[in-house]
Amino acid sequence: MKTSTGFRRTMWLWYDWQAAAVADNDGLIHDLAVWDGYFDQRAVIERLHCIANGGLIQEALLLQERFPEAKPVIHGDDNLPDADWPLPSKEALDALDKAAHELATQGVARAAGDPDRRLEHVLRASDEMRATFLTMEARLVEWVGLFLPDARFGSDRSSLPKTVGDSDSLATLAVKLEVDLPEDGPSKAEWKSLREWGESIATFRGKLDRLENATRELAESHLPSLSIMLGPLLAARLCVEAHGRMRLARLPAGTVQVLGAEKAFFNHLKTGAAPPKHGHIFMHPWISRSPRWVRGKIARTIAAKASIAAKVDAFEGEPWSQAMVDEIDKKIQQIKAANPKPKRRQR
Amino acid sequence: MGKNRGKHYDMLSWAIRLEGRALWSENAVCGATVYGESLRKFGGIEYRRWDPSRSKLGAAMMRTKHDKSQLLPKEGTTILYLGAGHGTSISHLHDHLCGTDNDLGGRIVAVDLAPRCLRDLTHLAKTRPGLVPVLGDARKHAAWGILLPKKVDWLFQDVAQSGQVEIFMGACRRFLNIGGLGLLSLKAASERWTGEGEDALFGKVEEQLVENGFTVDECIKLTGYEDNHVLFVTRRVE
Repeated sequence: MKTSTGFRRTMWLWYDWQAAAVADNDGLIHDLAVWDGYFDQRAVIERLHCIANGGLIQEALLLQERFPEAKPVIHGDDNLPDADWPLPSKEALDALDKAAHELATQGVARAAGDPDRRLEHVLRASDEMRATFLTMEARLVEWVGLFLPDARFGSDRSSLPKTVGDSDSLATLAVKLEVDLPEDGPSKAEWKSLREWGESIATFRGKLDRLENATRELAESHLPSLSIMLGPLLAARLCVEAHGRMRLARLPAGTVQVLGAEKAFFNHLKTGAAPPKHGHIFMHPWISRSPRWVRGKIARTIAAKASIAAKVDAFEGEPWSQAMVDEIDKKIQQIKAANPKPKRRQR
Repeated sequence: MGKNRGKHYDMLSWAIRLEGRALWSENAVCGATVYGESLRKFGGIEYRRWDPSRSKLGAAMMRTKHDKSQLLPKEGTTILYLGAGHGTSISHLHDHLCGTDNDLGGRIVAVDLAPRCLRDLTHLAKTRPGLVPVLGDARKHAAWGILLPKKVDWLFQDVAQSGQVEIFMGACRRFLNIGGLGLLSLKAASERWTGEGEDALFGKVEEQLVENGFTVDECIKLTGYEDNHVLFVTRRVE
């Protein structure tokens, strides 16, 4: 815009969430538009959203039409000249605070929809329950063994909790286990505790299965490609260990390879000991059922492929099919075939 | 020998009381604790114990060699707190700044990135008007900057992520008045390790702050309360 003196003047279109104003470089306000609908909380939140996404509020758009040459700048920008901007009134500020509180509450609620967080809880829960289950089961075996020294349950440990839970006395249990009842036995209260111990282990088993099913289900929808390649449980573990799907996708394959072997890895960096060949991915039969000397090679291949799968999942590409996994399997069989024997140590 | 039965405490502000080596703040919500701290009455008024090992600001108040009250904002003003966490420090600042039902008209804009932290903060804000919780990135001023129509005189940052100094300086340029107090809690482990030790790292940060138009009033080591942390007390001069 040319002024009478012929100088080109810079015009600024200032805006915040409730008002907009046009001013020149000297801070003289030429026009302003103020919104007074701040008693409507939902409208305030909408405006905050709009600004957070880099948008312009209605008033700013209106002034932009009137002063197309004015440069729209949000409140607080360094370039803005000092001027008597139409800042929010006390009431407007109170409304803003309430809206901000509501916005934060909504944001917190949205975190429940984040599959990364859900996966972490469900996986850690199943880990903890498995650990508890195993220690409790081991105690039960020892405990029953104390009272019934003849009993042997090397192969058939899994049915023991239920058997104990269903027996109403040690004598019944002895009959069920087909062993003799020794003279010294537990007191009434002691037996009751032992029986309840067995009962709770029996219920743990079902809970554990349900937890793992929940993990599988979540992982299969959140990480379809990685799940079909490595199995949903391992996919879930990698994702949780990497602190989220997006972070896993951004990790280099070498890091994916040693995820879960941090202790050995940092020991390697610190002391120069041999680096770990595999972390959590060792759990996959491709590695754990292969001979020792090809595990490192296979781990590298799998990590590279897993890293690609994670990227496909994170950026929501087309999930992998079984055919892709078969191809990887073929490659791994090739590695195994190429290395039938361990490499001779160079002397 | 008659024991001195007179005053044996200091009031650092209207609400913050130093009793021996312990800090207390007048509880704005009577009967409620925020993080399991102890409550106690002094002269009929209920105070909450400010645990310095849970709050870096509290630790800095204990460790500073200057006047402890200098670290506090003026009551009834607006402040910006980046990296609000679970609201431990915030709750005491709120006691001081706002008082019961925000009698003093203070305003705390508390920004944090983690939904888990915001969950606690939004609960806190329900009973403490004047506290404005914001779920957002401390670096993305555009998303929540409009919550502060005017610049503030007191800014605290505790984000423990790499580039914390740049984040701090950016936030100060945008939100802190000239002459305003900026407190930066710096976690050594969050910065790139140069192999020269912590003191060299802290010295470098101080240099960086001075170069960028800050004066560093004090560099408070929080060792004992919070290891490998220092708190820079800075003023913006340009």
